[in-house]
Parts: sequence; C-alpha cells; structure tokens
Amino acid sequence: MIELLALEPGKSAIIQSFSDEETACKMMSMGILPGSTVTFIRKAPFGGAIYIKADNQQFAIRNKEAACVMLS
Amino acid sequence: MRNVELATKSLTIALLGNPNCGKSTVFNQLTGLRQKVGNFPGVTVDKKLGKLALANGQTATLIDLPGTYNLYPTSQDERVVLNILANPKDELYPDAIIYIADVTQLEKHFLLCSQVRDLGIPMVLALNMSDAAAAQNITYDAKAIAKAFDVPTVAISGRMGDNFEALNAEINQLVSKDFTVSKPFYQFSAAEKEISQKIQDTYQLANPFQALLWAQNANKLTFLTSETRSEISGLIKENNFNPLSNQVREVMQRFDRFTPMLKKTIQRTDTNQITLTEKIDDIVTHQVWGPLIFFAFMLIVFQAIYAWSAFPMDMIEAGFASLTETVNTLLPDTWYRSLLTDGIIAGLGGILIFIPQIAILFLLISILEEVGYMARAVFMFDNVMQRFGMNGRSIVALVSSGACAIPAVMSTRTISNWKERLITILVAPFISCSARIPVYTVLIGFVVPSATIWGIFNQQGLAFMGLYIVSIIAALGSAWVFKKILQTEERSFLMLELPEYRMPVFKNVLLNVYEKVKAFVWEAGKVIFVISIVLWLLASYGPSNKMELAEQEAISFATQNNLDADATADLVAGKQIEASYAGHLGKFIEPAIQPLGYDWKIGIALITSFAAREVFIGTMATIYSIGSTDDEGTIRDRMAKEVNPTTGKPTYNFATSLSLLVFYIFAMMCMSTLAVVKRETGGWKWPIIQFFFMTALAYLGAFLVYQVFS
Repeated sequence: MIELLALEPGKSAIIQSFSDEETACKMMSMGILPGSTVTFIRKAPFGGAIYIKADNQQFAIRNKEAACVMLS
Repeated sequence: MRNVELATKSLTIALLGNPNCGKSTVFNQLTGLRQKVGNFPGVTVDKKLGKLALANGQTATLIDLPGTYNLYPTSQDERVVLNILANPKDELYPDAIIYIADVTQLEKHFLLCSQVRDLGIPMVLALNMSDAAAAQNITYDAKAIAKAFDVPTVAISGRMGDNFEALNAEINQLVSKDFTVSKPFYQFSAAEKEISQKIQDTYQLANPFQALLWAQNANKLTFLTSETRSEISGLIKENNFNPLSNQVREVMQRFDRFTPMLKKTIQRTDTNQITLTEKIDDIVTHQVWGPLIFFAFMLIVFQAIYAWSAFPMDMIEAGFASLTETVNTLLPDTWYRSLLTDGIIAGLGGILIFIPQIAILFLLISILEEVGYMARAVFMFDNVMQRFGMNGRSIVALVSSGACAIPAVMSTRTISNWKERLITILVAPFISCSARIPVYTVLIGFVVPSATIWGIFNQQGLAFMGLYIVSIIAALGSAWVFKKILQTEERSFLMLELPEYRMPVFKNVLLNVYEKVKAFVWEAGKVIFVISIVLWLLASYGPSNKMELAEQEAISFATQNNLDADATADLVAGKQIEASYAGHLGKFIEPAIQPLGYDWKIGIALITSFAAREVFIGTMATIYSIGSTDDEGTIRDRMAKEVNPTTGKPTYNFATSLSLLVFYIFAMMCMSTLAVVKRETGGWKWPIIQFFFMTALAYLGAFLVYQVFS
C-alpha cells in the first residue's frame, strides 16, 4: 500500500482508504472515494500541491492531504 | 395546517448545491437585477437575496446559499449553510429548497442533496447543465431519478435559460401543496438512533437527521447557547459518540446507497479520453509556462486597471471640476459655497473617481473566475502564498493593489479561509498604488539625481523600482508576522475542484461588476463622504478670528507688493491654511515629526493626505502659495527653494526627502481603503489596527532613515 504522494506523475491507481478522518470526510464529499481511480497528473510549479484526476474530475490538493490517500 | 402558515408568512426559498454547480447562474436567471447582496450576520460571507414572483401572487425571498459539499463545514461560508439548515428558527430557514446539481457530475453532487432531503425540507432537484450533458452524450432519466429518491426533478440549463418554466412550475407545486416528508434516505446505526433520539426529545427537534447534525457539529452551531452546546457535548461523551468517524461512516453509506441507484438512470459513454480542459491545463498549469502565463494575465489586469481607467477617471475629474466651476459662478463666495464645492462635491468626486478601477478589475477577475482559470492560479501559487499565511487567490489581490488597494481588498471575498483572507486585506495596501506615484515623482528628484548609469539605467527609474520592491517586501514581511500572530481554529485545506473550462456567462460577469461598484459607492462611500467633510472643516476653519486675520494680512501684503489677482489668491490660501485647524494640527504634531525631518508645513500635508495620498501635491501647492498650479514640476521647483529657517539649508534635503518617501511607502493614508476594509471585515477593529501598524511602521522607517542620513 502506498500513498498518493508517492505515486509517479502520470501514473494511476485505485484509492483504498484514507489515513485521516477529517481529510477523508472532505475528499469523499467531493467525490474522491475509496474505489475511485486516481491519476497523479503533475506537481504544482512551486511545489506544495498536486494536480490529480479522480473519476473524470480534476482536483488540486496539498501534499499534506495527498499523503493521507492510501492506494492499493 | 401548513397551507395556512405558508399563506400568511413571506416564503423563503433557498438555492443550494456544490461549488461549481452553476448555482449563481441559476440565481441570476431567476432574479436578474432584483437582487441584494449583503453579509450574513457576524461574518463577511456574501448573502445574496432576490425576489421570486410565485403563481399565487405572492413574492418569495430567494436566497443563494454558499456552495458546499456537505453539512460538515471546514470554512466560514460552509458554516453559514449549516447554521441555517440546522436551525428551523433561523429567519432564513428555507420553506423550500431548489437543489442545483451538475448533471454531468451527478453522483458527486448528490451527497448534499441526500442530506438535505433527510432534513424534511420540501425540495426540487434541478439537474443543471443539461446543455453540457447533451454535448457529452450523457443521457439521464429525470423521471426515474424523481421516483427513486421521491424528489421532484427537472433538467435545466442555467447558461441557456432552458426549461425554467418547468422549474418554476415545480417550485409553485412545492409551496402550494401539502408536503409529506418522505422516509429518510440514510439508515441510522443503533448508536446514531440513540443519541439523535435523545437530542430530538430534549430540544423538541423536527426530525432525527437534524438531531444527528447537532451531535456531529455541536461546537460549530453558533445559534445554540453555550449551555446547550456543553449539554450536547456531555451527551456525546456519555454515548461514546465520535462525531468525526460518524461523518465518514455517514458519507460512505450515502454514496454506497445512491451511486448504484443513480447509475441505473444515467448513461454515459465512459471514455478515458483526454479532455480539452486537460489539454489546456497541460500548458496553463505547466511547471514553467503556467506561472509565466499567469504573470502575463496579471500584467494585462494591472495594465488595464492602470491605463484603461485613466480616460474615464479624467472624465470624472473634469466633470467634477466643471461642476465646481458652475457652482462657483452661481453662488456668492460664502461658507456654504465652500462646503458645497470643497467639501461635498470634492468628497463625492473622491468616491466616484474609483469606479473605473473597480469596474475594470472585477470585469477581468469575474471573467477569469467564470472561465475556471482562478482555480488553476490558486493551485499554482498556493505553496508560495501559504508561507506568508495567505491563499493562492491572494496573489491576484496583491497584484491589483499595484493599481489600487480598494478593488484589491474587495476581491478577497473569494478566499474562504478567514485568516488567509484577513492577512491579504491587511497587507495589500502596502503595495505601492497609483496614488503614490505623483508623491514619488515630486520627491524622488530630491533624493536621486536624474543621471544615467552604465549608459542605460536612469537612476531615478531605478529608485522608483526600489520603492516598489520595498513595498512588496513590506507586504510579504508583515504577512509573515500576521501569520505567526493570528490564531485560528479553522484547519486550512486545499481541496479544490478544477472545473472544466467554460465560456463565461456575461450576465454573471456584468452583475458582479455592478454589485461591486454599488457596494463600494454605498457602503464605503458613506464613510469617505463623512471624512471628506471633516477634512474640509479642518482646512477651512480656524480658532476664533485667526482665519480673517490671516486673510487681511495676506491681502495687505499683496497690495503693498503689487501682486496680481492669482498670486494674491494663492497667498491668501497659503496664509489661511496656516491659520486653520489643519495648520494648528500641523504645528501641534511638529515635535512628533521633527525627528523624521519634517516641519509643520509637511505636517499639514500629512494630515490632508489622509483623504488620499495624491492630495499631498495639492496641499504642498496651497501651503507654498502656488495653489493655482497643479503642475508637479512647478511644485518641485518651489519646494527646492524652501529653506529651513533655523539651519538656513534647503528643507527638502536628501535625508528629509528620503524619509518622506519611506513614510509614503508604508503609511496607511487612504480613507477610502480604510472604509473598504471596514466593510470587508465587518467592523472598525481591523481598519484601526491596520491604520496604526502601517503608520507606526512608516514612522519608524522614516525615523531611522532620517537619523542615519541627516
């Protein structure tokens, strides 16, 4: 099991769980759910955040939050 | 029963939905110009109200609630939604809800819908963006959705205005017939049943889901008394209830239940195609091109506020000048003429002059926002701005401040984290605005000679750049300090949907511009107007008969020396301002500003500059009895001749001029900005703090500079 942040840009994986409840609640409410396919698209120009795609929708999330997303 | 109630009471209908669901477009379609924007009590979250005519002749109040994903708030605007929907006694508690969902993302937009449905508020589900769905070959069965969830459902397009008759018909149905609360969608666990039952019984709540919301959010419900909140906290402890895990469980179960139900009613050709949006983002959020494109946009925004507003501003200025002239010829030279021209007309002119800049900034920002670009800017600059306690959106405000801090401060409303927004508001006025340029132009010649170094760089040009750099450092430095000082319970998140790029809806853009201009003229205008009159009083009146005495002296001096009419008038004005309350104030503060290298004449200019920094020039001209000119070169020549009576050396020497420059970089000398900060922060506390810390920094900076170089 790896964190979303550890994924290589351009690669996809399936979300298994979240390691922080508050982040989980927020992400799930936005439709980033366990079982969703997530693609790490690119890092922000000055770091700190990443551009992801989950189930046909693009999102920006901070590294801190991406570290809570566990992939299978 | 309910019908009687509805007939007597004015109805409130709420628009609700996720961010980016197209809610504002629907709101604008339904209300047009019949809308009013204010603040929710205690917070500066936009409260947009409109009027909606119903078929039965009644007029309902339509409220556009802030977009949110769920009822577990992490920001101020989400908290507003929770506090209205969890409190049936709230005056804005809706009698009916129009739930707007983006039909192309229906599964994602359905969570909040299913939560609100369980609150038992009559609701119609509007499947928005039917045009986009058609374009993407997404088909759906609105009737089947309505049946599956027991919610009346219509497909509409806010952008095209499609099918609003059907939506209106459903709204009228909703408010005219008896509403039967359908069975809750969510299935409570045993623990949830227990605690919600207790809360529902104790506080006489209408339904179990409302009670569960109270348990899940107890400390975020501002309408509860602190006793009630601690009682609920007690219940939570007693029952071993964990609100956070419970929220996660609830969200999970809802998705698990409605996703398969929705899948049956929606057909989409599931493609893993790269969309146009992604292709654009490959360039626009690129590691290198992204920031460059952003700064190109900002350059256009800056240039537009700065250059495009010059012509309309000149027109407004000329209009007020001719109005003043007309009044001067129509009325005799009396105190009320002076009040009318120098007080009221000047004050109004000082308010209206900002309209072009505000309109242009919001025109461009709204377009960038509508298109979907702003979310990308936030993504790119989040990390940089976070270091200074700000938000990716703050960078737009800071850049705009280079033209004028007023629209910049007003543009921070889209920052949902209160601390990040406040810091942006507090530091934006440090960035050198266009009003400082005339002051810099006059003073810079006393500090740096107009020579060229290395054959290309004009020294004064370099010094100008230096002033801008210092102002940026001041803004970021103080932002960093505020980040350390200000405490907040809000945890900062960046979980941002990057919406599909879309053509802007110009109705939304124009309504936003109109709204911002109106808010500035009415809300900030009142404060600016009052301060203008006070400043006029200070400059026009003096203790006892000193003003007349000064006038007589000046006139007799003028006749002795055979001065012409203009020179006499200038001399009278100069002597009068010296004898006025402003002049006395200038002399009164002289001991305090002497360590900065200033005399009482500069003191007067500092006081009158509070109206706006560029007033410095006009005041200098009046004080030095050349009031009939407003040419910066003439004023500089006159200032260069000014000699300090005690030392016999020029007053505007290197140290004093540099010290004045430093003072003007830092000092908060703009009543209009303060008035806008008061409006945007909801009180006088922050503008007062801002005024004092900026002025203190200005004093300290000027003091150090003068002491080192004199």
